[in-house]
Amino acid sequence: MTEWAFDALLAGGLLGLAWQIVASRVLFRSVVLFIVFGLLMAVTWARLHAPDLALAEAAIGAGITGALLLSAYRAFLSRRGTDPGPPPVFPRWAAVGVAALVGALVGGIGWVVVGLEPPEQTAGREALAHLAISGVENPVTAVLLNFRSIDTLSEVVVLFVAFLAARVVAQDLAHAGPGDWLRASRNEPVLVQPLIAFIAPMTVLAAGYLLWSGEHQPGGAFQAGAVLAALGVLLRLTGRLRPTSEPSLAERLSLVGGVVLFSAIGLAGAGVASAVLAYPEGWEYELILLVETALTIAIALPLVLLFSGSGGLRREVR
Amino acid sequence: MTTFYFAVAVFLLFNLLAGLVRVHRGPTAADRMLSALLFGTTTVAVLLLLAEVMALPALRDVALLFVVLAAVIAVAFTRVPKHLGEDSE
Repeated sequence: MTEWAFDALLAGGLLGLAWQIVASRVLFRSVVLFIVFGLLMAVTWARLHAPDLALAEAAIGAGITGALLLSAYRAFLSRRGTDPGPPPVFPRWAAVGVAALVGALVGGIGWVVVGLEPPEQTAGREALAHLAISGVENPVTAVLLNFRSIDTLSEVVVLFVAFLAARVVAQDLAHAGPGDWLRASRNEPVLVQPLIAFIAPMTVLAAGYLLWSGEHQPGGAFQAGAVLAALGVLLRLTGRLRPTSEPSLAERLSLVGGVVLFSAIGLAGAGVASAVLAYPEGWEYELILLVETALTIAIALPLVLLFSGSGGLRREVR
Repeated sequence: MTTFYFAVAVFLLFNLLAGLVRVHRGPTAADRMLSALLFGTTTVAVLLLLAEVMALPALRDVALLFVVLAAVIAVAFTRVPKHLGEDSE
């Protein structure tokens, strides 16, 4: 009974929040409500027995999206001051028409899916049955890094291409930075330095823990990379990291390192193992950990650079 | 015990949803942001309860992430200029 009440409250809260986010006339309220939406979304994934997704939602939602929206709001406010152009008005009938069509589409797909017979032999059951040969104990990592590693490889390529595309169209974003907090001695609140001194090591520790734990429990490269990226966002926001227009050699290597290493090990699999992207027998665990470590960096760096709106970052000498 | 944990989780979730009134009314940006930060703490409590009743220890890691990363949004908020931070209704 209470279980049912919890789920009903959660589902109702999500729907209500989603409505408020798009319908609210106060932009800042929508931003805050979206952050709250991320919290409820993580609880929802938890209720659906998907702790991997809950971890990803927590890392991305709390670490990156919230800060990104607030920085975008900051940029929007300062731009609105100089150029108060009228907001584009979309005719109401067109909006109603699109909403009706999309609603019919979603309803139709939902109706068909509900009527489908559940298949006897799913890919998930296959993966669970062959978990022992994957080299890891967490079924999600086994699928991502062994059984379907081609998907993971393409996803990292997609992230890299997205970063390149953003660099092509990006303007310099001054609003991701510390603003008037120029130096520790000038304007920066006294609490910032102790906060970062405490948070930064903890975040690195949490990222390392997630990377290591991905082998036998929920976690892995994506979650660890997002947590590391959140640390980069914090350092960028407080001016510990400054934007540069071009990435340094080390940054270039980190950006492509994950893809190159993953592809190299995958191609080597054609010679020393049974197929491309297969691991040689007995080396699965070590190779998966190596690939995941490189992927963590290859995921974290583009995320920070996308937030920063810059080609590279450098340390601020204080 | 499961029922009790779920009852507490329902209470916390209800608290969170009731607190949304403050986000909605404001009136200042800081009011809205502070209530959202408080909801983060509530979510951590809910996740810890769920980890117990659903026997999913990984949910404690999710709670850990919310605690570690709470500072990011707080710092990002302080960078929104004060004189610009108020919305006109």
